[in-house]
Amino acid sequence: MLMEQLLLDTLIWLQELFWGWLAGLQTLLLAANKRVSVGYLVSATLVALLWFSWRHNWSVHDTLKQLYSRQIWWSRSARLDYMLVVVNQAIMLLLKPFLLGKLLVATAIYYAMADWLVPVAWSWSGLEWLVPVIYTLVLFLLDDASRYWLHHLMHRWPVLWAFHRLHHSAKTLTPFTVLRTHPVEAVLFGLRGALVQGLVTGAFVYLFGSKVSLLGVLGANGLVFMFNLLGANLRHSHVPLSYGSRVEKWLLSPAQHQLHHSQDRAHYDKNLGVVLAIWDRLGGTWLAYQPQTPLQFGVCDEYDQHDNLWQAYWQPLQQSGQAVKRVIQRWVSARQSG
Amino acid sequence: MSLTKIPQLGVLAAAMVIATSAHASKDVYADFPVTVQNYAGDKQTSVSYGGQMARHALHNSLKKIIGKGADAQQMAAYFSGKDAGREIIDPASKEGFPVKQSQVDELSKGKNLAGKTYNGAIFGFPGNMTGVEVLEFMLDQASNTATGFDPLTGYDYIQLVSKFAMGAVFYSQAVDNYLDEKLEAGNKPNSKPYKDGAAYTGKEHVWDEAFGYFGAPAHTLTLTAKDVYNIAKQKPEALAKADYNGDGMVDLKTEMAYAHAYYAASFDKGGKTNYLHTITQAYVDGRKLITAANGRDLTDTQRQQLKAYADVIKTNWQQVIAESVFKYAGSVYADIAKLEKAVANNEDASKLFRTYSKHWGELKGFALALETGGKNLGIVGVKLNRLLGYSPVLLGNTQVTGIANGEYTQAEGISMGEYRVHMIKVQKLMIDAFGVQARSKDVTAELADLVASLGSSLAAEND
Repeated sequence: MLMEQLLLDTLIWLQELFWGWLAGLQTLLLAANKRVSVGYLVSATLVALLWFSWRHNWSVHDTLKQLYSRQIWWSRSARLDYMLVVVNQAIMLLLKPFLLGKLLVATAIYYAMADWLVPVAWSWSGLEWLVPVIYTLVLFLLDDASRYWLHHLMHRWPVLWAFHRLHHSAKTLTPFTVLRTHPVEAVLFGLRGALVQGLVTGAFVYLFGSKVSLLGVLGANGLVFMFNLLGANLRHSHVPLSYGSRVEKWLLSPAQHQLHHSQDRAHYDKNLGVVLAIWDRLGGTWLAYQPQTPLQFGVCDEYDQHDNLWQAYWQPLQQSGQAVKRVIQRWVSARQSG
Repeated sequence: MSLTKIPQLGVLAAAMVIATSAHASKDVYADFPVTVQNYAGDKQTSVSYGGQMARHALHNSLKKIIGKGADAQQMAAYFSGKDAGREIIDPASKEGFPVKQSQVDELSKGKNLAGKTYNGAIFGFPGNMTGVEVLEFMLDQASNTATGFDPLTGYDYIQLVSKFAMGAVFYSQAVDNYLDEKLEAGNKPNSKPYKDGAAYTGKEHVWDEAFGYFGAPAHTLTLTAKDVYNIAKQKPEALAKADYNGDGMVDLKTEMAYAHAYYAASFDKGGKTNYLHTITQAYVDGRKLITAANGRDLTDTQRQQLKAYADVIKTNWQQVIAESVFKYAGSVYADIAKLEKAVANNEDASKLFRTYSKHWGELKGFALALETGGKNLGIVGVKLNRLLGYSPVLLGNTQVTGIANGEYTQAEGISMGEYRVHMIKVQKLMIDAFGVQARSKDVTAELADLVASLGSSLAAEND
């Protein structure tokens, strides 16, 4: 009886997990706040077509061939991307209950603010519209800045680079490479999102109450929507769409992000930002795009390349463990000699 | 009868059997047999809690009297009087919701509220008074008002008296008396009748009285929280639900919902909590245990089990009151925001101020009620009293600071904006100290919607 119940409960749990996983994948491909959703893939294609016909006189055919080449989309590297997307979705679903939620952070901030700040009582005549504008803007700026900062750390610290290296081991870039992420890195990204968005939301609701809302399009932050609509997916592609150095000082172009994925040492640790270029300029990591011979993507170091799922999940853990070991050894020997 | 109708009858009969068995399988707090040894009377059941129901009717009526002119003599008759002839002003028969009794004495003779009011210290109200003194003082002050509301202090005596009395009489009597020392072995033993000639044993009656004070219909476990809520509101559509014995009217002794049972139902109907059924089930289970002892003293194991049921009741009941504090802190928070806006825009704020005072009266009444459970609230009580203060903060940023020579003293204190923040802290305190779950009027509710609108960042985009 007990066994039967256990079996039944397990089956129900597995079933829920399966539907949750499927729903997650569906969201990934359809939701307006997901980069790889179908609408943005189409819009990126249109952007590429217009841009290359206007700036470089490419024919539609040539552009499409460049965009949708089988060598890129069905390369070994790209196939690993797809597998990672599908498997990660399940792993993250399992981890979700243990991860710090935005609401928890937002509520904590809200209550903490009550201890030291009295919200101003405005009469709000005609100025209510400003609150959503500022909220959306602040959310966007802090999101963009914190992503730069975390990305910077992922490159700087060997313990973290071990995980981020998986993303950089992609030899061909497709829009789905954006999701080529080790679960450990995904957890860190999630934590960042929870802290930043929870903090901003908790503080804004405390100060402005029900006047706060997200200025969005189809449920996505309006600015993120614009960024995605205007071809963010070309960042992970083989079409070097550059904005020209004047604009690239403010907005990172797809071509600049491709430099970030380049094997050339001169391009290492450059253009770490997502939307705005200002963080890279402040951090000394900004690099303008120069027309050049096609870039080689991937990493070249003493470690193995990622050829299959097992390597993709296991090798970063191993490599990170070695990095931790090195730090401890250094610390111990420093203590002994000191 | 034609033959073709026979199968239909069969179906009907089967349906009736199912319906009856469904009915019987639910626990109703009624008809427990007489177990008193050598009982000589003619009573068929040992269940009796008419006195408690009389007090519920007195409380409901007193609330109405304060709102309708607060006549001193009439208030005294319902609070401390015991005379015959007191009419049940509330709950009275309504169109579509007839009630059986119209006189308090039909429920129980010679009952009052004052004699059963908590006489320990109350810290949350000025004047260093006991619970019963606080109520007497409030009624005296109310008699100086036209409608139970004093705009100079922001005191709404209708709400203050009602919500505090629910604690100081019903909650206090149940959890600090009947479910406390009266469960001990030597106190009201089960091997003896409660009093000479009674049809119930000591423990049976102690338990019944505690149940009566909660204010739930005897057939609560056959009802949903929404049903019980609608019964207390005397909605015509709830008549069929209330009328368990099917006599076409609502028996105020066994079929009506009052006081904290109503509040429990109001929270539970939101779906996050189950206070009403948890408390009632514990009462029914405890009563079954006592009945099973069959007129003998409870063994130590039985008493331990009974105390475990009592603990369930006490914990959940306290949570219901804490939920109410949480809810009204949220209402007061929203009221202050509206008041501040109206004042800033030079609009008429008198109606808003009246609502603010009403909600504050409920908030304070429930907060004071928490002090009457026989357990020292310690730091939680101190924090709660400091956050609420003795009165709502008035538009000139003044607040009642004490009582001198029978009159309230007032002084300038914190601003309304700061007081609004206090309400956030009150809600936080109720979560931390009592683990409230229903959380009506949660000031952080907007966070949940907004956070949901941000979407999930489960699939991290890696740039």
